[in-house]
Amino acid sequence: MESAIQQSCRDYALCPDRIFCDLPINVLEALDSVKATIVCPRNTVLFREGQPARGVFVLCEGRAKLSVCSESGKRLTLHVAIPGEVLGLSAALSGGPYEVTAELLDDARVAMVKRKELLSFLREHREACLHVVDLLSQDLHIAYERVRSVGLGRTRRSRVPEA
Amino acid sequence: MRSDRIFCDLPTSALQSFEAIKYATAYPKGAVLFVEGQAPRGIFVLCKGRVKLSICATDGKTLILKIAEPGEVLGLSATVSGKPYELTAETIDPCQINFVKREDFLRFLKDNSDACFKVAEQLSEKYNNACHEVRSLGLSHSASEKLAKLLLEWSSKNGEAAKQEPRLKLALTHEEIAQMIGTSRETVTRLFADLKKRQIVQSKGSTLVIRNKMALKALATDN
Repeated sequence: MESAIQQSCRDYALCPDRIFCDLPINVLEALDSVKATIVCPRNTVLFREGQPARGVFVLCEGRAKLSVCSESGKRLTLHVAIPGEVLGLSAALSGGPYEVTAELLDDARVAMVKRKELLSFLREHREACLHVVDLLSQDLHIAYERVRSVGLGRTRRSRVPEA
Repeated sequence: MRSDRIFCDLPTSALQSFEAIKYATAYPKGAVLFVEGQAPRGIFVLCKGRVKLSICATDGKTLILKIAEPGEVLGLSATVSGKPYELTAETIDPCQINFVKREDFLRFLKDNSDACFKVAEQLSEKYNNACHEVRSLGLSHSASEKLAKLLLEWSSKNGEAAKQEPRLKLALTHEEIAQMIGTSRETVTRLFADLKKRQIVQSKGSTLVIRNKMALKALATDN
């Protein structure tokens, strides 16, 4: 069950330390106008692998598990996202489906920005665009690390965490 | 038709800025552009030829992530983030490449939001591919399943996807294919022999014809 809470990024005490939050004040105000902050309980699925990307989810509080799934339903964890991370960014920018499933591991506060509004926001605020490129690079770095661990681990025993 | 496609439809001023910062270079086959773990010097825009992207374990075991094709920007995420190159890039054909130094590239992105969007698009595509690799490597039960998936993926390119019997050019050795799916050369050779014996695929020189797409799909889903 979600509850909507309007919270300004500018006012949020922990924001300056967070990865998507250390933008200039005017940009944060513009971001405030396009985002909706919600509180979700543990185990909420923010989005599923394969779903069309609706937008991004900025994790303000709590953690989320990002995982991929085989056709047989077996699941593999890619990464555990921590507060400050932006989920679904790659899919929202490309317009493709979400590449992973995001499920909350804790009760969490999440700021959602719809795709259309995200793209407009980025076109109007160049400094945020470069920020997004940096975020995507870090996501890719994490994904490559996961490829390394599953691809170069031993083949005869499990090398991935239980989903 | 420009080969550095990612930036080719930018506004003229941005194109001019890019022209001023790039270094066009020709590399022979077998040249190493950058090595996994090196500090990022800049990006390499692949204009012509193909490049093998791989990662390596401490025991020397190699996993080929992808064969990059013209239009792709190599070393992009490392250059943007400042973290070491995550992969090793080695040319498998003679290549033409445009190199851009890191500081010049970051300044270019800061000044050109259109270019920033293009870069974001390409990073998204790479992320999508990496997730696909994790799924394929981590959730496939067998080498047979992984090989079948790889052949189906290759056969879906260049307009072959809709054909009853798609064809693909096998540009890699069995050893390299083994490095792509995390198995041994001997296993790949044995699997190909089995696929041919079952008439699921047929070799015609360096071209592989998928004779029975349904059977290959069944193998790819471990059915």
